[in-house]
Amino acid sequence: MSTVFSEEQRDCLQELINVAMGLASDKLARFLNTFVHLQVPAIELVNSSQIPAQFEAQYSSTEAALVSQGFLGNDGLRGEAIVLYQLDNAHRIAALLGYDTDSASELEMLTDISSILTTTFLNGLAGQIDNSLSYSAPRVLSSRQTNVTEALIETACHWELALKVDISYQLIDHSFNCDMLLLIPGEAVLNIQQILDRIVEEY
Amino acid sequence: MALPVLICDDSLLARKQVRKSLPESFDADILTAGNGVEALTILRGQEIGLVFLDLTMPELDGIGVLEAIKQDGLDCFVIVISADIQPEMQKRVTELGALAFIHKPVNPEKLVVILKQYGLI
Repeated sequence: MSTVFSEEQRDCLQELINVAMGLASDKLARFLNTFVHLQVPAIELVNSSQIPAQFEAQYSSTEAALVSQGFLGNDGLRGEAIVLYQLDNAHRIAALLGYDTDSASELEMLTDISSILTTTFLNGLAGQIDNSLSYSAPRVLSSRQTNVTEALIETACHWELALKVDISYQLIDHSFNCDMLLLIPGEAVLNIQQILDRIVEEY
Repeated sequence: MALPVLICDDSLLARKQVRKSLPESFDADILTAGNGVEALTILRGQEIGLVFLDLTMPELDGIGVLEAIKQDGLDCFVIVISADIQPEMQKRVTELGALAFIHKPVNPEKLVVILKQYGLI
């Protein structure tokens, strides 16, 4: 099974993701009541077993949180969307939004933001490929009490592949980085590749 | 006479989408650029009547291109086609002189309305 995108497929997926990110940023900007500077998100398809090592360096030295939300669509498109945050960023955003600074509120805020990011982004992506998705409720899989790498290993092992989408948001006065991981089974990638080929052919 | 048109977007798919959205009645001589720097090189080297401009691009983004067009006094219409759909962004590009702001993925009917509105078709 080819898990590598051709250059045309990659360009096509990147553009679909840019459009979906634009929708998510607009929603986030309205929620945070600020302007969000949008950057082109870097995308990469990797085996899900490689994921924890890639993020260990980035997230293990700092307090991080991991929020997960399952999604299910037509034609075998399903998976789990994970958003990873560094918590020192989260404090600033929480304050900006007027959440209390206790840890229960912090989790509530992370769940809110993840839900906006994930569902708006995935709806935007699905809409462009004539699919529609349903979602499970977002779950906070790890917060300051638990080890983010362990939680990630435990989650990622259920899936074959991961589409990494590096998201970097800059708000007017704050910068806010998070990573989104779409954990998907191999057959979903085949399905995505077919869709991308169809779109490329159409234009 | 064909109108020299520049389509500037880092995505090949997006450039094709714009090209395919143009009505057949639109007599255009189409050039493409993959980022803002390439676009400015073309714009400074020859007469371009209309630019379809993406905003989020590597090297130089669409805002940078609009600023340079304004600063250099380049005479061309600009239609922004963007995934960044925040109202604040729309306001910014309009202030920088863009004729219109279209959300991605480009809607051919909407594009025709705008081209007609400005007498380009």
